Amino acid sequence: MQLTVNGVTREVEVPEEMPLLWVLRDVLGLTGTKYGCGIAQCGACTVHLNGQAVRSCQVRAAELEGADVVTIEGLGTPEAPHPVQAAWIEAQVAQCGYCQSGQIMQAADLLALNPDPTDDQIDAAMGGNLCRCGTYPRIRAAIRDAAGRMRGA
Amino acid sequence: MRRLALACLLLLAAPALAQDVVLPEAGSVSREEGLAAFDRIHAVVSSPRCANCHVGPDNIPRWDGLGLGEDVPHGMNVTAGDSRIGVETLLCSTCHRTVEDGPIAERGAPPHVTTDWRLAPVEMQWHGRTAEEICAQLSDPDTNGGRDWIELAEHLDEDGGHGGFIAFGFDPGPGRAPAPGTLQEHIDDMLTWGAAGQPCPGPVGAVAVEE
Repeated sequence: MQLTVNGVTREVEVPEEMPLLWVLRDVLGLTGTKYGCGIAQCGACTVHLNGQAVRSCQVRAAELEGADVVTIEGLGTPEAPHPVQAAWIEAQVAQCGYCQSGQIMQAADLLALNPDPTDDQIDAAMGGNLCRCGTYPRIRAAIRDAAGRMRGA
Repeated sequence: MRRLALACLLLLAAPALAQDVVLPEAGSVSREEGLAAFDRIHAVVSSPRCANCHVGPDNIPRWDGLGLGEDVPHGMNVTAGDSRIGVETLLCSTCHRTVEDGPIAERGAPPHVTTDWRLAPVEMQWHGRTAEEICAQLSDPDTNGGRDWIELAEHLDEDGGHGGFIAFGFDPGPGRAPAPGTLQEHIDDMLTWGAAGQPCPGPVGAVAVEE
């Protein structure tokens, strides 16, 4: 099947039931997206599918024909990070870092829909992304910072 | 399941043939039989597999019937918002995908069905409501999606034919308590209740839904 990943057209031959997470990590070698639980309980595998944040462990290859997928590798670059990535670096959000690509992808989706979220709205949108290091206060601060950067852009 | 579709086709094409099909004639079922059918309908719609997404204006889906206790809010601080699909917060489809070959329901994972995941309209609240209140809601076209009793059964049959929410409720996969009985029995009960005039428990003529 053919899909677009981070702006590049990719052709993959995979079983229909293979999760997108496997396609990204094992077939395409994009290991920035993390496997946490495999049952949508943690959010570590969050990517954008056709412009919407999804848990890639729950998206089967059967729905990927013609899809547009963006992963953490495609959100920004070291030279030109996405505002959420820039805010993340500024706030030094990450501790162990394992959940952070999922957190960033979910946060970018939130700000695309809501450019000025309240703390309650941030909590509601980010509630499915777990961080065992407990970096939640810095995540929230970074999202508010990123929102300001995006509004000022 | 297909027999209802056949019955409805026959009704549309030649109503005189209705007596030759399974569809019961309106008024042919006693009030007692109708009430007994509603008891079984209520057992289904008040089961966690149905009521967890037929919640009220707090817009919070429930995780009842998973061995976690009763009236357990959906994990992850999830609220579906007034949109009932989570557009204000976190879209249901972030985790619950729409699949052509559903239902797919793994243990501990979000179920996926053939229809887009969402809460039922708030006027169709079943969670936390009494049998009398649910009966009044189900029998009123203003609060049941504009359906008469045959259309209620058609609604069930149509969903079952493609693996939607209702089909999932009766076959929810491991770790989830299923709705009691079978979908076909539920359809038959809906028709029996309808043919009896959709009687509700409690005093005759009582309207139980509180505004």
